[in-house]
Amino acid sequence: MLRRMVLSAAAAAAPCLRNAALLGPGALQATRIFHTGQPSLAPVPPLPEYGGKVRLGLIPEEFFQFLYPKTGVTGPYVLGTGLILYSLSKEIYVITAETFSAISTIGLLIYVVKKYGASIGEFADKLSEQKIAQLEEVKQASIQQIQDAIDTEKSQQALVQKRHYLFDVQRNNIAMALELTYRERLHRVYREVKNRLDYHISVQNMMRRKEQEHMINWVEKHVVQSISAQQEKETIAKCIADLKLLAKKAQSQPVL
Amino acid sequence: MNENLFASFAAPSMMGLPIVVLIVMFPSILFPTPSRLINNRLISIQQWLIQLTSKQLLAIHNQKGRTWALMLMSLILFIGSTNLLGLLPHSFTPTTQLSMNLGMAIPLWAGTVITGFRYKTKASLAHFLPQGTPLPLIPMLVVIETISLFIQPMALAVRLTANITAGHLLIHLIGGATLALINISATTAFITFIILILLTILEFAVALIQAYVFTLLVSLYLHDNT
Repeated sequence: MLRRMVLSAAAAAAPCLRNAALLGPGALQATRIFHTGQPSLAPVPPLPEYGGKVRLGLIPEEFFQFLYPKTGVTGPYVLGTGLILYSLSKEIYVITAETFSAISTIGLLIYVVKKYGASIGEFADKLSEQKIAQLEEVKQASIQQIQDAIDTEKSQQALVQKRHYLFDVQRNNIAMALELTYRERLHRVYREVKNRLDYHISVQNMMRRKEQEHMINWVEKHVVQSISAQQEKETIAKCIADLKLLAKKAQSQPVL
Repeated sequence: MNENLFASFAAPSMMGLPIVVLIVMFPSILFPTPSRLINNRLISIQQWLIQLTSKQLLAIHNQKGRTWALMLMSLILFIGSTNLLGLLPHSFTPTTQLSMNLGMAIPLWAGTVITGFRYKTKASLAHFLPQGTPLPLIPMLVVIETISLFIQPMALAVRLTANITAGHLLIHLIGGATLALINISATTAFITFIILILLTILEFAVALIQAYVFTLLVSLYLHDNT
């Protein structure tokens, strides 16, 4: 409750804080900001890639530069030689059996480092490079995959644009099929109707023929009936007489 | 500095304080921890070496044996680095001390044996009798196998101590011979110096080989018992 009072007083004082007051009781916690400081307490400079230059593998170059103004180029070497000779002559460093083993061990080490140092360094660099290459490959593969997906999508979209050709062709096909069916059916109807009409015509023809035959038969029958027996005999006798006459005529006339 | 042969093997103490603890802990500084994805050359080579060695060492073990991976790798790294550092002049090698080698060998060997007895009791006891022994020889063979089992940690410790100590001693002696022969005849001294160089090469190899052998044998004992 006290918090809300503070919030409302603050809202009265500064209008920009009114929004904070509207957020309710959790507002004070919500407006706390984290991690605004520096990540480390000291301003650490970036690490150098290569170490400082050294001479004889042990003494930094800065020492030679330090002595250069007073003693020139040979100064540090003379100093070193003097110190070694001093320690040897005063037996500060005693030559014992250990000396020879030291000479042999250190000599061997220097020889190995001089001979194989560079190649081992390259090998180490190659290991790092392989690791980076592997990760890079993964990244590239991922990018390639996404690129392929984008291209596929684009080509699909292009195909969709051309779809109307397909539809036109299909529409034409269907129209042709419809037309074909229509004509076929029309033809069939025509044939059926013609069939029926032919039937009727042939029926008519047959009836007419039958009637004709019937009429002829009837006429013949009646004619034959009308010829009585007497008439038949007279007719036959007349025919015979005519024939006889004709025969006589034929006999009498010379053959032409 | 060192007049007699024993001086280089005495436990080093500065003003009465045993600094041998510092000397034993020193090689761990030489193995930096990889902190980034791509490290400097030293860490890259170290990572590659450790990967190579661990793959080689742990290939024969099953899941249970592979829980010892950290132990075996630290063992080989410690013994190898300590032996190699001992070849530098005027340095002290902790592995020349039998006490330390016993302290490494006995717990590791005992660990493998106890693991074997705990999880595969019958198989562990079966190791005491090789296959195909004729019946009358069995009691004697069991006794022999028991003795050979208990000699294992002793052998491990003494092998390492003797090899490294003998190497250091030989280097010291031949170096002394070279020193003594310089005034008598320079050529003989030169020949002796050549021998010294060859010996040093051998010692480098021995340092690494002994580390490997120690770890390999512990790994073998582990393999038998898991």
